[in-house]
Amino acid sequence: MSLYMEAPQKLPDFWLWEERRKKQGLVSFTLELTPRCNNACRHCYINLPAGDGQARERELDFDGIKKIVDEAAELGAMWCLITGGEPLLREDFEDIYLYIKRKGIFVSVFTNATLISEKHVQLFKKYPPRALEITVYGVTEKTYGAVTGKPELFAAFMRGVRLLLDAGVPLSLKTVMIRSNVHEFQEIAAFCRAHSSEPFRFDPFIHLRFDRDEKRNQEIREERLSPEAIVALEHSDSARHDALQKNCEKLVFNEDMDNPEGFLFGCGAGISEFYVNHEGFFMLCASLYGSGLLYDLKNGTIKNALDDFVPKIRAMRTTKTEYMANCGRCRIINLCLWCPAHAFLEMGQLDACVDYFCSVAKERYKKMLL
Amino acid sequence: MEIDVNAVYLPSEDVVARKIDDAFILVPIASGVGSMEDELYTLNETGHIIWEGLAPGRRVVDLAKSLAEEYDASEEEIRQDIQGILTELLKLNMIHKDG
Ligand code: SF4
Ligand code: SF4
Repeated sequence: MSLYMEAPQKLPDFWLWEERRKKQGLVSFTLELTPRCNNACRHCYINLPAGDGQARERELDFDGIKKIVDEAAELGAMWCLITGGEPLLREDFEDIYLYIKRKGIFVSVFTNATLISEKHVQLFKKYPPRALEITVYGVTEKTYGAVTGKPELFAAFMRGVRLLLDAGVPLSLKTVMIRSNVHEFQEIAAFCRAHSSEPFRFDPFIHLRFDRDEKRNQEIREERLSPEAIVALEHSDSARHDALQKNCEKLVFNEDMDNPEGFLFGCGAGISEFYVNHEGFFMLCASLYGSGLLYDLKNGTIKNALDDFVPKIRAMRTTKTEYMANCGRCRIINLCLWCPAHAFLEMGQLDACVDYFCSVAKERYKKMLL
Repeated sequence: MEIDVNAVYLPSEDVVARKIDDAFILVPIASGVGSMEDELYTLNETGHIIWEGLAPGRRVVDLAKSLAEEYDASEEEIRQDIQGILTELLKLNMIHKDG
């Protein structure tokens, strides 16, 4: 500790985040640069082909992105996650990345790593991201191809990861567990643990697409693991098992929630954080997508969205009996993928219950009680 | 690292200074600046005033003089403050000597 500076503090423990959250001040935001991707994953909720000209046309350009970043920085945002689709498909990725960094915002990037070039490696070495998160769909060409539809990109994925590791860029490797790759769970986990700077994580929950493409949605449903398989996987991973058991009391309420007014949003969506999609629409979170749920930042400001639009959405209520008797007061909601956004993607209604989510949550709870 | 009072010191291009609520934060954005290891630097009021005072052509002695006038304080004391913080910032590569 000196006379002029506080001792350097570790980012996650920095007192300011908590202070700002308490005051509901802006802390972070996500920028979805494109819905396009060079992979074609079966479980993907967003991807369009890399060469889709119409999708590309609709993407917010660099000036539009700068306007959003400027305002977010002014409002005090300290974190930004860049995601896609595959953000490295954007030719102006480097400009966007550096622009955000130069605002003094911590930037994380989600990428599939297949497009990583020497130039990206130099960029990330000189201007390190806060995190570089890569999803490992498989560690063999066959499994990688089964998930992504692009076996030929397996070599590019491995090359990208290797280039980054050789340059000493810390990676956060994770995976999604679906029917096409679940047989390789142990090998994928071992790969992630061997090369990642962060603890291994996997996501067995996949939700439906923003564009409601029924053929693609059917593929997603087919890729979902059974509730029993999800629970077995979670408990085969000792870290995940311990975390679930340890946090049991926090995750599960002792009594039904008290929600006689039928409020839908019990989460923190739109408070201290927001999401901007590739067309410049403000969303309260990464999943809340649909007509009436978006605010156009091309014709408005983040401040207006936060002050006027967010409270309107968060005040939404329902009187539907099914909701009031189930999700609206559920004790195990924290074990569930249910939320109004996912219900909307699944059923077209914010207050619909979703049988699959319900079975998974109940299976998880059953296991916790054992 | 000695601070030369007749020299000009400027913020590194690879540090971004941000004022958020009551906090004045220095965010290193490139390798080799600060520790870059997950750390954040916060300046107190004195540190903040001095940081804001770093400008092209403005030597340490000039800055000390103008701050002494502005805050009605002893020039000697202020110069010591400036030297103190500049020493720390130089170690972290957050500033550089101009020219
Ligand atoms: S790599 Fe990511 S964005 Fe691309 S198709 Fe797969 S899940 Fe979607
Ligand atoms: S789907 Fe079932 S487990 Fe999930 S919140 Fe609704 S009632 Fe609870």
